[in-house]
Amino acid sequence: MPAPVLSYKDIRVSFATEFGDVDAVKGVSFEVMPGEVVAVVGESGSGKSVTSSTAMGLLPESASVQGEVLLEGRNVLKMSTAELRRLRGSDISMVFQEPMTALNPVLRVSDQLVEALQVHEVAFGGKALEKSIELLERVGIPEARTKIRQYPHQFSGGQRQRIVIAMAIACGPKVIIADEPTTALDVTVQAEILDLLRELKQELNTGILLITHNMGVVADMADRVVVMLNGEVVETGPVAKILGHPEHPYTRRLLAAMPLLREAGDPSLEREQEQERVRVTERAARETSHRAAAGMSSGAASPAPAALEAKDVALEYKFRRKATRVVHDLNFTVQPGEIMGLVGESGSGKSTVAKAVLGLLDVAEGELRVRGENMPALPSKQKKALKREIGVVFQDPAASLDPRFPIGDIITEPMVVHKEGDKDSRMARARELLDAVRLPSSVLNRYPHELSGGQRQRISIARALTLNPTLLIADEPTSALDVSVQAAVLELFSELQQHYGFACLFVSHDLAVVDSLAHKVLVMQNGRTVEQGTTDQVLRHAKESYTQQLLAAAPVPNPETQARRRTERQRLLAALG
Amino acid sequence: MSQPTPPIPPEDVRSAAEVEDAKLASAQRSYSQGQLVRKRFFAHKPAVVSMAVLVFIILLSVSSIGFSGQGTGWWSKSFSATGLTVDGGRPTMFNAAFLGEHPFGQDSIGRDYFAMVMRGTQQSLLVALGVALSSTFLGVLVGALAGYFRGWIEAVLMRITDVVIVVPLLALAAVFGAYAQGLPGGTLTLALFIGLATWTGTARLVRAEILSLREKEYVAAAIAMGAHPARIILKHMLPNSIGVIVVNATFAIAAAILLETTLSYLGFGVQPPETSLGALIQDNQNAFTTRPWLFWFPGLFIIAIALSVNFIGDGLRDAIDPRQKRSGANRPGWRTAFGLLGRATAEERSGKQVSELSGGPTQMQPPAGMTDHGPDFGHDPTDEKRDS
Amino acid sequence: MYSYVLKRLLSAIAVLFGASLLVFVLVINSGDPLQELRESNAENVEFLIQQRIAFMNLDEPWYSRYWIWLTGIAGCAVGACDFGTNMSGQDVGAMVANSASSTLRLVFIATILSIIIGILTGIVTAIRQYSSLDYAVSFFVFLFFSLPVFWAAVLAKDWMGITYNNWLREPQFSWTQIIIVAVVAAILVPLIIGGSTRRRLLTGAAMFGFVLVVMPLMDSLNYALEPRLGPAVITLLGIGLAFGLTALLSGLKNRRVLYSALTVVGIGLVSYYATFWLLIEPPGGWLTVIGLFLVTIAVAVLVGRTMGGHAKGQAVAVSVITAALFAVMVLLDHFMRAWPGFLGMKPRPIATIGSSSPNFSGDFWEVALDQGTQLVLPTTILMLVSVATYTRYTRSSMLEAVNQDYIRTARAKGVNERTVVFKHAFRNSMIPLTTIVAFDFAGLIGGAVVVEQVFGWSGMGNMFVTGLSNSDPAPVMAFTLITGAAAVLFNLIADLMYAVLDPRIRV
Repeated sequence: MPAPVLSYKDIRVSFATEFGDVDAVKGVSFEVMPGEVVAVVGESGSGKSVTSSTAMGLLPESASVQGEVLLEGRNVLKMSTAELRRLRGSDISMVFQEPMTALNPVLRVSDQLVEALQVHEVAFGGKALEKSIELLERVGIPEARTKIRQYPHQFSGGQRQRIVIAMAIACGPKVIIADEPTTALDVTVQAEILDLLRELKQELNTGILLITHNMGVVADMADRVVVMLNGEVVETGPVAKILGHPEHPYTRRLLAAMPLLREAGDPSLEREQEQERVRVTERAARETSHRAAAGMSSGAASPAPAALEAKDVALEYKFRRKATRVVHDLNFTVQPGEIMGLVGESGSGKSTVAKAVLGLLDVAEGELRVRGENMPALPSKQKKALKREIGVVFQDPAASLDPRFPIGDIITEPMVVHKEGDKDSRMARARELLDAVRLPSSVLNRYPHELSGGQRQRISIARALTLNPTLLIADEPTSALDVSVQAAVLELFSELQQHYGFACLFVSHDLAVVDSLAHKVLVMQNGRTVEQGTTDQVLRHAKESYTQQLLAAAPVPNPETQARRRTERQRLLAALG
Repeated sequence: MSQPTPPIPPEDVRSAAEVEDAKLASAQRSYSQGQLVRKRFFAHKPAVVSMAVLVFIILLSVSSIGFSGQGTGWWSKSFSATGLTVDGGRPTMFNAAFLGEHPFGQDSIGRDYFAMVMRGTQQSLLVALGVALSSTFLGVLVGALAGYFRGWIEAVLMRITDVVIVVPLLALAAVFGAYAQGLPGGTLTLALFIGLATWTGTARLVRAEILSLREKEYVAAAIAMGAHPARIILKHMLPNSIGVIVVNATFAIAAAILLETTLSYLGFGVQPPETSLGALIQDNQNAFTTRPWLFWFPGLFIIAIALSVNFIGDGLRDAIDPRQKRSGANRPGWRTAFGLLGRATAEERSGKQVSELSGGPTQMQPPAGMTDHGPDFGHDPTDEKRDS
Repeated sequence: MYSYVLKRLLSAIAVLFGASLLVFVLVINSGDPLQELRESNAENVEFLIQQRIAFMNLDEPWYSRYWIWLTGIAGCAVGACDFGTNMSGQDVGAMVANSASSTLRLVFIATILSIIIGILTGIVTAIRQYSSLDYAVSFFVFLFFSLPVFWAAVLAKDWMGITYNNWLREPQFSWTQIIIVAVVAAILVPLIIGGSTRRRLLTGAAMFGFVLVVMPLMDSLNYALEPRLGPAVITLLGIGLAFGLTALLSGLKNRRVLYSALTVVGIGLVSYYATFWLLIEPPGGWLTVIGLFLVTIAVAVLVGRTMGGHAKGQAVAVSVITAALFAVMVLLDHFMRAWPGFLGMKPRPIATIGSSSPNFSGDFWEVALDQGTQLVLPTTILMLVSVATYTRYTRSSMLEAVNQDYIRTARAKGVNERTVVFKHAFRNSMIPLTTIVAFDFAGLIGGAVVVEQVFGWSGMGNMFVTGLSNSDPAPVMAFTLITGAAAVLFNLIADLMYAVLDPRIRV
């Protein structure tokens, strides 16, 4: 058996903070073999990043580390700064999470790549530049020879991550630590970066330590898996075993919490489709009876107005009197009680649509009808009245609640704004809503910073429901949350939707989340509609190639299925050219 | 989620969501915003010492000669009454058992210099406070309106700001000071008018702050629910920039002390028969070689006041924006500081929070909006401290 | 780019117009310019009053007075500026011509010196964060922020000026002085250099010994009265610079950089002799000196580019800095040569009054020394606040930059701390500082008003203060306009610098 290239032995890390020492890692051991991908998975606070960074000696000075990190048998923790420096980038290198900030903005890419080579005396001058161009070509940057002269901001996020990877492999390291290398990227870009890492690993026989929270990525890449919880390893083993037959209850629960993008033929689908049919028929029946009761003849009656309807909507951002159109010719309808998933990658304009519905952005062209009335064109008083009908949940749990407001005031703010109820009835409503989102009413007097991210998102939902809106706008409400928290919030969300019956525009980049929740899906790319229809149509019988690519790129947490999907995806891409 | 709900799992395998809810149920409360700020501020020793010094100076100046300055406090001499010069007007506090007849000496026409310095301190503090208040008020008003409404309102307000900025601050303050001489109301009018020259720094700072708050989702949520702009500015935006504003106002007081003394020195500030610390130095600068105490006492009082206010501002900034914390336990001991202990140990040098640790309620995050300015950039470069 | 500059200038003109209107209205309403004459009992008082009314257009309404001033200024567009006349009928344009040069010289020198000193101190304190040096500097920064300039100026006059002049009568160091300097150096230098405890103790001891040898040596050479460097010392220092800068900026392992720096020193020595007689009495005055300096820089760039090889950028940087400092040493050498002669003409060199000695005449170096010695105290005083500002902002800007992700990337590459600081952090931290330069310049102009008052200069500040206290708009407006224009210019330069430093911004 070959010797491990990197091994962690009983690592303990604690941080000195304002509130005393915090133990982040409590005795973690595992190893990485040459050419092996070891995935460390866990939710935030599990200590996975901290553990891995000990091998680079890059922890902040407030950290104290115990244990041994052996890189090819030499203990990294005992090394002098100079020795450690010689090691970094040549024997062990790192790929970071945030490609947008990982490169120095004021230095050309050539400078930064050449530096990596010169520091370790691999090549100098013109030779180093040639080698850098080769590296860029290797990681798939087109026109590397001219582009190497550019600055980082002239590259896209995915390309920047490729450049960071090029820097990481420049000196042929024995092991690469990839800390959430694809978390900040779109799903199609993520698939490409993972492909690249896989190829490089096979070519260079490098060990890869992959830190991630995404079980799909694990299934796609890893040979072995280390599951961490609260600074301890709970389970380790080959990927097939961990994902297929997890032993530890925490691993099981983690896997169960993963939202699933179901393929056609999944048994749970049939039941759901039946429910959907019932829902549609019921609504039709309700409308007929409603009309009959109103004594109208069915021919002349207009149907009940849609909760939200977009007609040829175009949206623009204005900067220094120059307008950039980001959404073109958008048409869709969300019926009362219906959830429509709005999916797309970054830059597709999906959040812009949400902004426009919320009145945060003017509509450049077309009509945006809320309950049949074109909201942007209404006089301000009626517009305000109509805003009662719209609730909103945003993405960032840290920023979506005013830190200076107690929770009670946050939840009742819509009532205050619309001058509804008195103090007592408002508080009663707040208690009711807290109950609905399963939080104790004792939090009424607490402040947002005392709550966790998931709890804050639940408060956000409660605030959105305060005035019993007919329409809820949810802009990536769970993408900043950990998997298990996300599962809880989604479950709650869908229960509340059934209970309150609001319609919902659910903006998300995560197809699996949309699949678990939405009745209809609209796919956007570069501000234009690619495809829309029922969830089943779009996610399982996609017609457009872009939708197919999106679907193919989403990794699933099952190594075998994922391997099959990978080949399918490569075939699809090849077919598209 | 089609999984059946499992029975309550044992402590070590509970998911993050459950752990969080359990924490919430246990009634353990974390520090409130205000408590944290207070805790950090009191850990900042220079700030605490400065606070004590400043309170002492204020109490001394007010209690000694009273608000009128005519010996209505425990010091019975008036600042304007002339008298016989004793012993060349030398200060008596260094030889007498306690203070003596004229602790700070006498000026050339025999006025008690202690009473004069106390009066000057009162007037300088009054002007500084008035300037800081009026300029902060005006700056917050202009900055908040410009930042919130954008469009032509912002364009007009920012052009006005530019007009005020383009004249060197000291010069503009002098012009306003000269103008205020002709108006009734004395020192307070002067303070309000100088404030008209110094608000631009605050305005730009507040505008930047409001602009960044506009992007916050809770503000977007308030706009989306149809809240009135006044409510959004007053209830959401200003309370969340209060830290920055307070820190800025503190530094503005220090700057205003220097500005007032400088103006008085140039003759555009406090006018006789009233006096101020700057005017005292102006009157006595040529006496430096012959009667240095006339020069030293007001100068030392200016420095003591300005220095302590600056340190208080620094402490406030560290307390409100803990990203660059240098407080309490994080300060190294003297041996470490002199490099005689080698590398500082972890306990002594606490750096940044690590991303993975910054979630829970005990790991307090600075309130949103306060994190958007640089660590030591709590005050805008436009503020006036350089103009004296 | 050009359209951007043009747009900026147009809006600047609008802003200056607004500012001038504001100041004009305030000044004419700040008092009665005829007050003193009304109280006067001179015989021709009626005539004087009429004359003043005519000089100041007091018989016109305020808007028409402003209009007269504005049309006069608008003449600048066709090259015929008319700044109006002050209350006693003097042409303000002529007053400006006399006073602007000394004020602007003061402000420019103070700006450049404070930028250099402040940024260097800021970097050192950022690198040695939480060291006692950091704390000491922080304290002084706060002290300077809290120091009334006029008060400090009086102290400086007495302590620096008069004491030094007195000392020059018998310039010998006492042993007490030597020991004190040695102890201070032995504490301070290790704090700046840093390193392990052992290294600190060693550098401290070395500094102590160094001072103990050098100061008596200077005494015995009568250095204060007859200072000199000479080619040998300049060359030795130059070689030291070449090694030091190479070690600092690229590491001594990088031979090409070291060799190009040494080449620059060699060329410098040759040109020292080549230009020696030319510089004894430079024909074009400062123009020649500046021209030679530019040639020096160009040669250094050339050397760096040809010899640098793969490390071209670093070689150019090190060569240019070496060359510039070498040139400064050569300049210093020439000044030192002129010093004994200068002392013969002006035995108490550090002046406390005026921007130049009245009726002083001498050769180029002596006149420059005279202006220089007159500038020492005002510049020092004026710089205090600016240096503090730059130190503070550089420090926090550096610390901010050091905590960025790309610094972590650089460290992960295995780059050493020196490169991390000077290559990766420094350039990024300079970006926010460009805005400070513009603000600080405006502050320095304000400070100059006070400093001129204290040191009795008849500069623009004095013109402003006199005009304002007499409610005499023309001089005040001239001051406003010129300082405002300078502030606008500096702002524009700062913006362009910003765009140069930050490739993400394109104007």
